[in-house]
Amino acid sequence: MDIGEALRYLGAANPSEELRRQAAEIAGSIRETPRYTYRVFGVSRVPEGVSLEGCGVVLAGRMAETMLSECSQAALMACTLGAEFDRRLRAMQARDMSSAVILDACGSALVESGCDAVEAELAGRFPERFLTDRFSPGYGDLPLDVQPEVCAALDASRRLGLYVTGSLLLNPVKSVTAVIGLSDRPQAARIRGCAYCRLREDCPYRKGGTCCGEGM
Amino acid sequence: MERECKEFFKDKLLILDGAMGTELQKRGLKPGGVPELLNLTDPELLKGVYRDYAAAGSQVVYANTFGANGLKLARTGYSPSEVIKAAVSVAREAVSETGTLVALDVGPLGELLEPMGSLPFEKAYGYFREMAEAGAAAGADLAVVETMTDLQEARAALLAVKESTDLPVFVTMSFDETGRTFTGCTVASMARTLEGLGADAVGLNCSLGPDKLAPLLKELCENTRLPVIAKPNAGLPDPVDGHYDMGPAAFVEALLPCLDAGVTIVGGCCGTSPEYIRQLRAALEGRSPAHRRYRKAGFVCTASQPVFLEGVRVIGERVNPTGKKRFQQALLEDDLDYILDVAVQQEEADILDVNVGFPGVDEVSMLPRAVTAIQSAVNLPLQLDSSNPDALEAGLRVCCGKAAVNSVNGEPEVLARILPVVKKYGASVVGLTLDKKGIPQTAEGRVEIARRILDAALSYGIPKEDVWIDCLTLTVSAQQEQAGETLKALRTVREELGLQTVLGVSNISFGLPNRALITQNFLIQALAAGLTLPIINPNLPELMDAVAAYRVLSGEDQQCRSYVERFAGQAGKPQTVQAGGMTLEEAIIKGLKSDAGKLAGIALETESGLELVERRLIPALDNVGDGYEAGTVFLPQLLSAAQAAQAVFEAVREKMAGTGDAPVKKGRLVIATVQGDIHDIGKNIVKTVLENYGYDVLDLGRDVPPETVVKAVTEKGVRLVGLSALMTTTLPAMEETVRQLKALPDPPKVFVGGAVVTEDYAKGIGADAYAKDARQSVEIAREVLG
Repeated sequence: MDIGEALRYLGAANPSEELRRQAAEIAGSIRETPRYTYRVFGVSRVPEGVSLEGCGVVLAGRMAETMLSECSQAALMACTLGAEFDRRLRAMQARDMSSAVILDACGSALVESGCDAVEAELAGRFPERFLTDRFSPGYGDLPLDVQPEVCAALDASRRLGLYVTGSLLLNPVKSVTAVIGLSDRPQAARIRGCAYCRLREDCPYRKGGTCCGEGM
Repeated sequence: MERECKEFFKDKLLILDGAMGTELQKRGLKPGGVPELLNLTDPELLKGVYRDYAAAGSQVVYANTFGANGLKLARTGYSPSEVIKAAVSVAREAVSETGTLVALDVGPLGELLEPMGSLPFEKAYGYFREMAEAGAAAGADLAVVETMTDLQEARAALLAVKESTDLPVFVTMSFDETGRTFTGCTVASMARTLEGLGADAVGLNCSLGPDKLAPLLKELCENTRLPVIAKPNAGLPDPVDGHYDMGPAAFVEALLPCLDAGVTIVGGCCGTSPEYIRQLRAALEGRSPAHRRYRKAGFVCTASQPVFLEGVRVIGERVNPTGKKRFQQALLEDDLDYILDVAVQQEEADILDVNVGFPGVDEVSMLPRAVTAIQSAVNLPLQLDSSNPDALEAGLRVCCGKAAVNSVNGEPEVLARILPVVKKYGASVVGLTLDKKGIPQTAEGRVEIARRILDAALSYGIPKEDVWIDCLTLTVSAQQEQAGETLKALRTVREELGLQTVLGVSNISFGLPNRALITQNFLIQALAAGLTLPIINPNLPELMDAVAAYRVLSGEDQQCRSYVERFAGQAGKPQTVQAGGMTLEEAIIKGLKSDAGKLAGIALETESGLELVERRLIPALDNVGDGYEAGTVFLPQLLSAAQAAQAVFEAVREKMAGTGDAPVKKGRLVIATVQGDIHDIGKNIVKTVLENYGYDVLDLGRDVPPETVVKAVTEKGVRLVGLSALMTTTLPAMEETVRQLKALPDPPKVFVGGAVVTEDYAKGIGADAYAKDARQSVEIAREVLG
């Protein structure tokens, strides 16, 4: 897990030594490891958006369209720290709110690291393919109401103990679902930005002083 | 039918069916949709699967009712009862000529129950009851509750089947390789909780192949006297093509060692087919159930915390209003947060006693709510402390895991009232050695009552290891000879009756100076006499140190590991952080709680409480707040300062309680995370900061309906309300709450905040203010409440 990322979630870009030490200690106390599952589907374009074949999930909106424009397949993924982490976070909030916000941020960073592990696994599994950035329901214009279908397609409650509430939130709280496109061509880092992009050296947008991700 | 079916699996091997879902897909069913509707739309497809399983050797087939509950069918236009009726008759028709039994299959509801989720226990129970009644009416031979990952949900389903039908009921849960379910449930917790609640067989299904489930099944066999079920997957699925990696021969080969460990009921889950069952049946030919070795032990647990009563287990006594003004006030004000705080502070205990009985408090509604609140954060088994059988039943119903009941006594009427409830929920029970004649003055008299209690418990089917006896502590300053009698009775109960022994020890020292010394000495003597379950305040180091030492001397603490861990490094640490050289303001700014408290105590010798708060505490907090706003101080530090301020307030309150001055409270506000939203850490941050500015914060919690907010505001005459929401999907609930508040004749001011809330949005929904962070909520509270 990236402690620096946890500190960034706390808004502490330049943390004191003391805060960094405290965060490292709390991160070290976390026993949970991220649990994840993913499935790869064929992709086709339908009038309502991008369809993931065989599972009934249709990703509406411009973000999905752009992100998956060069992809013939896409992976759906889900990652969670589980209900036990939520319980510990509640206990910590009752005991020491200051430590609780650090634990909360560490939990977020840990889930992200689980998502990174999925990406690494996919990359290993499909060495000849290129992955898009991952993107999630509720961000950009990908509607949150696709969440129940995404979790159903992944059998997430059975595989991970991950549920969607009536108001479309994920429970346990420290959970992420996401889409990752698989393409035969190198994919721009449209979401994470130019600094992460493998195309940055000869990107026509960058040379023109702009970037490719506008409107996302 | 019941007897016939029970004979079918008692002391015999029984073969269940394999997967339904993957079989249907193989036969052309497209994924997606609601598979339970096939009972009505394509019964022939289902019949083909049942026939193949029966022909392969399945003695039980699971009807296609896994998700036929009111929640999952809600949007289909069909009721559970019509789907279940069709499902059972389709299965029955398919296998009627083979003698194969038909099971009502009950899967998870698809929503998490309280306290992890927001589905109340009784609602879940209602959905399961609807299924159970429909299944029994449709003529199912038994019910199977399967693929559960939340012990609480398994409990709700089991209770529903047991309370509404006579069907035998199997319960299987899904574990991963760590030996836990996704919600953290352990094998021992599952086995002993469900056996206590009256399941007919328990086991594991889904999630892993038989090779990976084998060690867990062995553990399960050691933790229950019931028949054990194994229904594993055909290995693991491939994320890309969805195929399971274990063929029928490998599956059967890996399953056979589980039978050697004592499993008697077998089948397959995801990825298995009739061919797996055929090969399984062939392999079981001529086999009989293996010998089982049950680990008999006293036991209590939560889902994720099993506690075997081997050695000394400390019961924390602090969740109890007796003699505690603040706790009494919390009960009267329905302040569950305070009760949770008291529980959280006792995590050094092994078990928590929970007593919420107080005049003016409806114990029947309060006890279950307190249990749910405590279990949302504290992972210790609970001992429900009440003499009201209705309150006990209400509490035991929602209490996840195996609990204890405190208490019964030797009175036949009391035993007849309470023991049936204890038995029904599989709890342990504390028996006080007294009856209507009072407490016997001799050890023999108390042991006599202990025997009576044990006999009564056994007659209700409560096993001996679940009976705990309290020989009662009397105050030594009043009845000096009784200390010896208590110890003598305790020794006999432990040695001759072989029972667990409970004792609330602190009463011994009442009325004497240096109480801790007497209590500690009595505790040590009681432990030596055979006390296994001391009820004490786990925050008193004298007592916990004595327990730690006893565990070393008794050999329970092997290699003195816990003892060394407890005391190692203590010599090297500075005794207390020196307060010298630091001002109160500095202590607050640095977030040093104990220093801030000490310095406040010193300052209060010369300053009034009000002056201290207004002239020193608040400016110090403002200083930190300014730093936060400027980006030089971060959230954890802001909160540490707030927590240090709390120590100052405690010192001030203590002083005021002594002088009779009015308490320093700056006015009350209500805060809540709106309905549908479960992310409440932001709201809790605001609460911490506001409280430590001296505001009286009434926290309604998360997922709060608008009506609850309105009710709190009108009942308590509150003038300021803060609402939080994290997601766009819960913003409508925020808007509705504001609308209802603003429709009141004398509406309170409302401020809103949360990740997706903006200044414009706040204005748009009619809120009075937008708080971008905790710091700004203080400004708003100042403006409105002063």
